[in-house]
Amino acid sequence: MTRRILAIGGLWAVLLIILAIQAPDFFAPANLRDMAVTNAPALVVAIGMTLVILSGEIDVSVGSQFAVLSVTAGILAKSGLPLPAVAALTALAGALLGGTNGLLVTGLGIPSIVATLAAMAFWREFLRWTTQGAWIQGLPSTFQWMGLTQAQGEIAIVSSAVLLFAVVAWTMSNLQLGRAVYAVGSRHESARLAGIPVSGITFGVFALMGTFTALAAFLDSVRFSQVQPSAGMGLELKAISAVVIGGTSITGGKGSLWGTLMGVVVLAAIAPALTFLGVNAFWEKAIQGTIILAAVVLERSASKGGPHAR
Amino acid sequence: MEGCRSSTEYNRALLLEAKRIEKSYGGVRALRQVSFALEAGEVHALVGENGAGKSTLIRILTGAVEPDGGAVLLDGQPIRDNSPHRSRELGIAPIYQQPAIFPDLTVAENIALANETGGLFRRVRWGDRVKRAAELLESIGAEIDPRRLAGSLSMPEQQLVEIAKALGGKVRVLILDEPTASLTERETGRLFEVVRRLRDNGSGVIYISHRLEELPRIADRITVLRDGETIATVSAADTDSRELIRLMAGRDLSAVFPKREVPIGEPVLRVRGLTSEAVGIRDITFEVRAGEILGFAGLVGAGRTQVAEAVFGLAKIDAGKIRLNESRVSIKSPGDAIEAGIAYVPEDRRRHGVAAELPIRANMTLSILDRVSNGPMLDEDGERIVAESWAQDLRVKAAGLDAPAGSLSGGNQQKVAIARALATGPKVLIVDEPTQGIDVGAKAECHRILCDMAARGVAILMISSEMAEILGMSDRIAVMRGGTIAGIVNRADATAESLLAMALGGSAQ
Amino acid sequence: MLVENRAGGERALFLLILLEIAIFAYTGPNFLSAANAFEVVRLGAELGLIALALTPVIVTGGIDLSVGSMMGFCAVAFGYLWRDAHLPIAAAAGCTLLAGILGGALNALAITRFNAPPLIVTLATYSLFRGMAEGLTRGVDNFSKFPPDFLYLGQGYIGGVVPAQAPVFAGFVLFYWLLLHRTTRGRAFRAIGFASEGARWAGIPVNRRLALAYTLSGFTAAVASLIYVAHLGQARADAGTGFELLAITAVVLGGADILGGRGSIWGTMLGLAAIVVLQNGLRVSAFPAELAGILTSAILVVAIAAGRRTKRTAHVTVPQENEEDDMKNSQLAVLSAVIIAGSVIVAASNWWLVQSVTGKTPAVPFAAPSGPTAATKAPHRPTIAIMPKAKGDPYFVSCRLGAEKAAQELGIDLIWDGPTDLDPAKQNEVVEAWITRGVDAIAVAVVNAPGISTVLRKARAKGIKVLTWDADALEDARDYFVNQATPQGIGDTLADEANRILKGKGDFAIITGALTAANQNEWIKFIKARTAAKYPGLKLLTIRPSDDDRNRAFSEAQTLMKVYPKMQLLMAISAPAVPGASEAVKQSGRDDVKVTGLSLPNMCKPYVEAGVASSVVLWNTLDLGYLVVNASKQAVEGTLKPGVTSIDGGRLGKINIEGTQVVLGKPLVFTKANIGQYDF
Repeated sequence: MTRRILAIGGLWAVLLIILAIQAPDFFAPANLRDMAVTNAPALVVAIGMTLVILSGEIDVSVGSQFAVLSVTAGILAKSGLPLPAVAALTALAGALLGGTNGLLVTGLGIPSIVATLAAMAFWREFLRWTTQGAWIQGLPSTFQWMGLTQAQGEIAIVSSAVLLFAVVAWTMSNLQLGRAVYAVGSRHESARLAGIPVSGITFGVFALMGTFTALAAFLDSVRFSQVQPSAGMGLELKAISAVVIGGTSITGGKGSLWGTLMGVVVLAAIAPALTFLGVNAFWEKAIQGTIILAAVVLERSASKGGPHAR
Repeated sequence: MEGCRSSTEYNRALLLEAKRIEKSYGGVRALRQVSFALEAGEVHALVGENGAGKSTLIRILTGAVEPDGGAVLLDGQPIRDNSPHRSRELGIAPIYQQPAIFPDLTVAENIALANETGGLFRRVRWGDRVKRAAELLESIGAEIDPRRLAGSLSMPEQQLVEIAKALGGKVRVLILDEPTASLTERETGRLFEVVRRLRDNGSGVIYISHRLEELPRIADRITVLRDGETIATVSAADTDSRELIRLMAGRDLSAVFPKREVPIGEPVLRVRGLTSEAVGIRDITFEVRAGEILGFAGLVGAGRTQVAEAVFGLAKIDAGKIRLNESRVSIKSPGDAIEAGIAYVPEDRRRHGVAAELPIRANMTLSILDRVSNGPMLDEDGERIVAESWAQDLRVKAAGLDAPAGSLSGGNQQKVAIARALATGPKVLIVDEPTQGIDVGAKAECHRILCDMAARGVAILMISSEMAEILGMSDRIAVMRGGTIAGIVNRADATAESLLAMALGGSAQ
Repeated sequence: MLVENRAGGERALFLLILLEIAIFAYTGPNFLSAANAFEVVRLGAELGLIALALTPVIVTGGIDLSVGSMMGFCAVAFGYLWRDAHLPIAAAAGCTLLAGILGGALNALAITRFNAPPLIVTLATYSLFRGMAEGLTRGVDNFSKFPPDFLYLGQGYIGGVVPAQAPVFAGFVLFYWLLLHRTTRGRAFRAIGFASEGARWAGIPVNRRLALAYTLSGFTAAVASLIYVAHLGQARADAGTGFELLAITAVVLGGADILGGRGSIWGTMLGLAAIVVLQNGLRVSAFPAELAGILTSAILVVAIAAGRRTKRTAHVTVPQENEEDDMKNSQLAVLSAVIIAGSVIVAASNWWLVQSVTGKTPAVPFAAPSGPTAATKAPHRPTIAIMPKAKGDPYFVSCRLGAEKAAQELGIDLIWDGPTDLDPAKQNEVVEAWITRGVDAIAVAVVNAPGISTVLRKARAKGIKVLTWDADALEDARDYFVNQATPQGIGDTLADEANRILKGKGDFAIITGALTAANQNEWIKFIKARTAAKYPGLKLLTIRPSDDDRNRAFSEAQTLMKVYPKMQLLMAISAPAVPGASEAVKQSGRDDVKVTGLSLPNMCKPYVEAGVASSVVLWNTLDLGYLVVNASKQAVEGTLKPGVTSIDGGRLGKINIEGTQVVLGKPLVFTKANIGQYDF
């Protein structure tokens, strides 16, 4: 795990050095600020995804949830509710969507990849059907930046994400709750015998994933004055990639939020870095794939090479 | 009802009681009207063949399974809404046969997770955890760094962690399910000390074991289960193994070890200077002859299984030669080993021995797929014939060969694993803890099979932690210590004490 | 066969398919015909190949997410080898298959040599293969004009009835069935899936067997890509997008355990049939296409949940399997009910709110007319089927409003359906369904001209009037093209706007939709040509993708402004990209950068009025939708026929006909001055 972080960190350092020489403007405060604001919502989703993956599950429906929740936030705001109420209701809606996934997994015993695959298709198509692609326009003027100035709003968005990161990271290593997530991901049966409420933890992690997605959708939506219902396409892959690049084991039990933070930062930097370096955009996906592959291979080639794992 | 040592100073009050427990799985009755009483300050052994209902009873006592009828009482009060968590809080600490550890967490955290109380929102104190874990491990004589990942421990080490875990909390009732199955004599001795200490402090201990000979050393009373019913509760001091076997089996079993003298032939397998850094063995030299059973004894962690793995192509070999019938062989994978005529019945039956969901016949032919096929196509009729003949030979008790192997009892699963190995027609058979965790009847049959194979001229390498088995079955005995062979002795010259002394070397006793 | 406690699940699936057929036979005209059955086979072949490839992989307990991307890569590689490397078609196909094998081997290598989890490895190659396809084509290129002999593989009929790909597909089904159920390899796959370590201990060469499964998967994806290219007549980097998820759905629906061990080819085929019949049936019945996704996922959940339940009860004799969950059943039931009710409330309120807030969107999601009775009984109410490029695109949503208005005025039945993403293959499927259904006229906004032309010709041969709009098909494949503006007209207008805003001199950058979007690439071509020819002072700095995502366009615009501080104009040529880029400019506070582009006035109104966006170029989409319906009706009734030079455009007045083109007029340029007058 640490090796993967080192390997990725190394690759990334090389990229930064090239950038520092070729395009020092990349490090301009304004650019860093913009990148931070743009990627704060992605970080929030990745935090949730880290918990899900640590607990030994996966959620591929976050992109679709994100779209549904963006529209929910937009509609609630448009109906004239005050913004804190909008945020709270959106979070509640997110908890319900995530909770539904959690129920499919814990209550019905459907493997999470299958359950959330179904949820992914369901919510995306549901939204297409109901909105027919229409944007939510004519939102109250206080919607954008939550009624603050742009600078204040940006600070609010980034600090919300950072605060959430800090709270969750602290919880994961210092509260029994966090350790229970690791324990469940490490081995279900052992966790059950140790008296850890496995179903409860798993369910909670999915509900939390939904809540975080709602928060991300809210933080993302308030950057604009209109809401697009096609938001969040590919978000699930971005979040999973960030978690994996961050060294978290896809089978659960091992990993950390700090790794995920690094994963988010690395992924966030790729697209702008390519533009700054004048590299053609067409190779972007190929580069992203190569980085993930390199991360996995570098880590594994060093490890003792245990038996083939699922 | 009263125990044999009624004169002790402790109040021998009823501690834990199971009353008229009923449990069925589907249509099958696992327990019927089972009653069981544990007093404070006693070690109460629970014995019975596999499938007799011991595990189910334990699961009910610990709340892992809900009974269909009857009640579990602690201090005379029924336990309501029992669950593993609840029972743990009440001081019922189980240690299961398969270590229930978290492989990705440290030893310290493994121990802490089981013992700390205060719900999910309590703070984690890392320093305390490590210290406490170190103390607990120390108390049972286990030299394990609490900061290691539990997944990196060997099976017996994990078992020790389990024991430390159970001792960590408030223990009123300690439940040990085959605790010594993978422990060495020395570790077993330490464990018994711990158990006695607990008993003397007024706790109750439920002790499940197939090793009947150790019961007089540790148990006060013994309850025998057979076919889901309580057969008898007897005083350990007044009962011998023979009597217990009769109670368990409902019949008299003669000769525990049917060792037969067979002519010993030429050396088949010769290993010279075998060294593998990856698994920590060095300079291993031995030979096994046709018809001979070479026992491998030693403490757990001495490297016995690792030798088997290296010979079977599961570990990278850094130096040394392996010769089969005079010709040198290069073995890089289990496939190569099987090709060369080596078969291996692994220690960890559930992970390596049988695939529980595959049908019995598919398990039996898994190593010889290319022999039950026409080109790339599987010959299912041929497969069935092969499997049926092995099932008959080894007396596998199964409803049908298409049933999943997981539906069999432990002993019959082991027979399937043995059939898988024997089906390859080996010249050398390696068996690793062949009778661990299987009941007395199945155990005897396994020994019979080994003798049969020896009689057919197969060279057998038998790894075992059970001293009686080693002494009863081997022609010669190789004793391992610290990754190398400490010495090889003939059975005639070996005693339990001498072997133990070799295994311990100068380091202990 | 082995360990199949699956008969119950398969029977249920079989009943489900029968139920689907029964329902659609009632709701969908001509659904129950041999021709339609063969169409279902054709549509299922490519997806089916991928599902076949995934079955052994899933049985080993692995997964391969890269198959869809692999199709894209192979399609592009094939096109490149044939057109640019001038290989004969057979050699190009051979090399493509080799590329598939190599790609699969790459997955296999990472999984077996480095013991990396398949999910991560194939997630990486999912990006990698697609990225290589985009990189090779530079996003812009696509390959077409393949020889007819090759296209026959995807478009032809053997003996006039059996689709040409059917035998190939059948061959693969047989091959995979033998492999998985009748060979030692198949047994090894299963053993690995149930107990990978046990398999290794038993002497099975686990790594070699896994390598076989993944390499075969790559190979089969390559075969699927060839059929896909032949089917559409075009090789593009976006071939096979999303196939992996649908294929996994089919395999899992067919009873395979995602954790390994369980799974059968027969089950996969049933799962595939359930999905494909559902898609086809919904189309033939003119139900909204989105329902397919919703129903498929619902069926998946129900099927798996039911399977789990029965497995639990079947396994109870093994004590370990029977542990109760921590949560008591009653609590669970209550909680489930609450949560599901909550979800339903979220869903329902979302729907209701969307309807009430957006107001203008068509109020009835079921735009489906009637059923078979209405089509046959009414005196003659022509049924006109219109297809946008992508249903959710706001531009087409606003066209639809115009079309519905016209349908009301002119008294016709309107079917409005199409793919939810820009997906050429889906367009073909929808047209096929309409042919089966038997409509009077079809009007298609074409995503991929060579790809759709075969099926349009087939429609014409059946006496259906075929029109195209927004983007044309091949000329002989349609009767009329409703031409709102040619790509050249759009390109020229955009270039002219750029020149006007920059006053003859300055740098600009383009933010496009997806890199693989054909129409945008077309416009870019003409923008480049026009600036080169007429406006030497203008310099195009770079082209960045936005994936038709407002937020992505926003980020790209932000970065572009920093990388090119002297840039003065952002030209966004995808509808969501204009507000995205405008917002970025607005937030940056820079007034020396302007935005122009192609978008809907309503979306951009705030920015145009604030002066951030100088102008937006578009024709009147309401009028376009209106005219498409009107022209279609007149084509059906015969007032629009060869030789006519103008038709009565209803509220649009007189509409000129130039040859086979129905001309709407020039694109409008919306600026601060006039944008307030438009509402779409």
